[in-house]
Amino acid sequence: MTVSTGTEAPGVKALGGVGVPVEQTGVALGRSLRVALVHGREEASRRAVAHLALASGAQIVTRVRATDPRSFVEAAQALRDAKPDVVAIQGGAKDEGALAELLEALRLGCGAQRPVPRIFGLVDTRVAGALRMHATPFEFERFAAPSEMVEALRDLRRGGNSDVVLRDALIEDGARALATTTGTNALAIDVTERSTSLVLASPDGRTEAAHFVPLGLGMGADHVVARASLDNVRRWLPWPIDAPALLERVWSRGRRPQGSASAEATVLLEMALAREAIAHALRDTAEAGLDVDAMRAAPSILITGRAASFPKPGQSLLVLVDGLEPSAVSTVFREPDEGRAERIAMLVPVITRRSAKIRIVRASGRSVARVVPGSFGLVAMGADVEVAVNGAGVRGHGRSGELGLLIDARGRPLMLPERDGERIPAVARWHAAVQATAEDGAST
Amino acid sequence: MTWRREHWTADHPLPIGVTKRAQVGELVRAGDIIAAGATLAGALRVSGARRLGLSPSDLDRELRVRVGSDVVAGAVLARVGRRFARTVTAPIDGRLLHVTVDGDLYLAPIVDRWTVRATLDGTVARSDDAVVEIEGEAWCFQAAAAYGPDAIGELTLGVDGPDADLAATRIDVRLAGRIIVGGARVSAEVITRAHACGVAGLVAGGVPPAGLRVVYGDAVTASGSPSRDDRPTVLCLMGFGSAVLPRAVYEPFAALAGARAAIHTASARLFVFSTADIGRAETPSPDVVMGEGPAAYAPADRPLADADRGEGDREEAAQTDEELSPSPSDRSPSER
Repeated sequence: MTVSTGTEAPGVKALGGVGVPVEQTGVALGRSLRVALVHGREEASRRAVAHLALASGAQIVTRVRATDPRSFVEAAQALRDAKPDVVAIQGGAKDEGALAELLEALRLGCGAQRPVPRIFGLVDTRVAGALRMHATPFEFERFAAPSEMVEALRDLRRGGNSDVVLRDALIEDGARALATTTGTNALAIDVTERSTSLVLASPDGRTEAAHFVPLGLGMGADHVVARASLDNVRRWLPWPIDAPALLERVWSRGRRPQGSASAEATVLLEMALAREAIAHALRDTAEAGLDVDAMRAAPSILITGRAASFPKPGQSLLVLVDGLEPSAVSTVFREPDEGRAERIAMLVPVITRRSAKIRIVRASGRSVARVVPGSFGLVAMGADVEVAVNGAGVRGHGRSGELGLLIDARGRPLMLPERDGERIPAVARWHAAVQATAEDGAST
Repeated sequence: MTWRREHWTADHPLPIGVTKRAQVGELVRAGDIIAAGATLAGALRVSGARRLGLSPSDLDRELRVRVGSDVVAGAVLARVGRRFARTVTAPIDGRLLHVTVDGDLYLAPIVDRWTVRATLDGTVARSDDAVVEIEGEAWCFQAAAAYGPDAIGELTLGVDGPDADLAATRIDVRLAGRIIVGGARVSAEVITRAHACGVAGLVAGGVPPAGLRVVYGDAVTASGSPSRDDRPTVLCLMGFGSAVLPRAVYEPFAALAGARAAIHTASARLFVFSTADIGRAETPSPDVVMGEGPAAYAPADRPLADADRGEGDREEAAQTDEELSPSPSDRSPSER
């Protein structure tokens, strides 16, 4: 992946050319970092430490709670089996005793591990002083703020090489740039071979990020199935396929790096995996206490990585709509790894139990669309025009992009029919509705 | 995807509760017990330094029992003073497991015993409470993924050709203790039957993922699932589903049949201990181009070894369970 961080000036490539050279930076997922989470009894503590791990792009290998029902030996064995690079600890003063005991379990479990795990604590100074003693001989580092710990964890992923730009940091930059440009909250969704990221940025530069590794379309595809279940992946395919055959295809993806998908069956499988990767990432994000409602309501959404590299923009759009289930009017962009960002559509989710009218206003005039519950389809708008919509439970504005306006009245949460005979035609219709199949279709 | 005869290293992670383990520099054979220990249940915390009126750092000096030793209820764990002695005694039968920074003691009852066996002929290069690492020379095939515990046994061809699937009917108790080469594919039925018949492990070009999930659970992934519990051992050589073994892969199996072999599941490697000529020089064989192959393999970063030296010269029969011998360190602490 090559990232342009500036506009190429005229003459850059000419001999003796003038202008500022385009800076090109190598981007990587970074070293896999195994993190064990040890937290206090409060739910807030669990969320805080999970948020830290997700924000740093580390792989969570085990979780131990201060009130863990496992015995001392079992906790020590779990920590030994996890082989953590870092143990992240968060807790309050009343958790001090329990956390100290867990550190003893860590000493028993990982005392002989090489390299020895490091302990990162997000605790107050007094608790840190007490825990530091119990952490001997491990290195105990206290952080005053979550952002400091996230940065320290990312430094470890860079392996000490400051020239490495982590992909997740880049996605966060992209989300911030989009939020600043549009002046609204922006959500960036990145799905790659082995990672899935969700980043919510606000115009003032704040971000909430969750990066999941391994969870993706290639080497992380088997983890999507393991977490989301095979049936949840299969339900998105618009053709019948038996579970063993699908499982074999998914597992085989992890055996070699996957190029960009071009065969329709491969694209549809990747779309199914991407939907579940996003949906699963959202569930874990919610459990970590991040604001998923704000993510779903972001007025600007950028989709990147493999999910943005599908042959047709409608395929990226459908993955986004099905996986994220947006709840508000939003403008959708996509930026493939080897391409430019493009605005692809404006998304209008309509949640209604009866037929409703949506007024669509643009410079060339206004129109009314009648929306039936369950309907899903594109309204042609002309390329990239300003549009405002209002109607039953929906109000907002944005730009139409290449595909136009996508009205999604399928309801939330999105429910798919159980039986193949009903589900497959419905999924096929949705694909056709956003021109995500070989045969372009009309709205349904 | 290659057969290579080189120096390899194999890590053997140890559970908590190790009692004895092979020492660095010790020579071991695949199948030897290199570590033994106790499975421990919920531990009791016993006040130590505070009870004796000592600082935690002084407790070590007063301990009457080494950490890791088995004790009986009432045994004196630590003691200070003469006329007015103060003691810490074991409240239960078990093992003195751990001493905390505060100077408290953890004792845990013993509920079972475990052993860890070597998967490589060679020398112990690292030995501590967490892992025993062995370095040694062997024929090795780096596979795609492995499931279950490590396995050691005689390599046995279970099929007549590289494209044949291993039928369940060919598995019976006479194959107990062996590592069976299953051709292009082994099914879940074959895996479970083989395990029931005492087969040490199965090797095949591919294994259907659905079958693996039936045997190992839905959480299993394509990256393998090494474990210590009593489960079948399966090595997927090329990938998943069905994979006809190329001649360059299958023919060495035919040549090496009858030799001792071991499956090291953590690294997904099959080690074969034989100096048999498998049709290629003692250098890495040319890579077999496989569509489903992993991106890269990393054999131990060591120079090629001379295969014609030392004990490796003689062809050795496979070692069965009855022949397993404890390593020289397999003695109780008191005997050392």
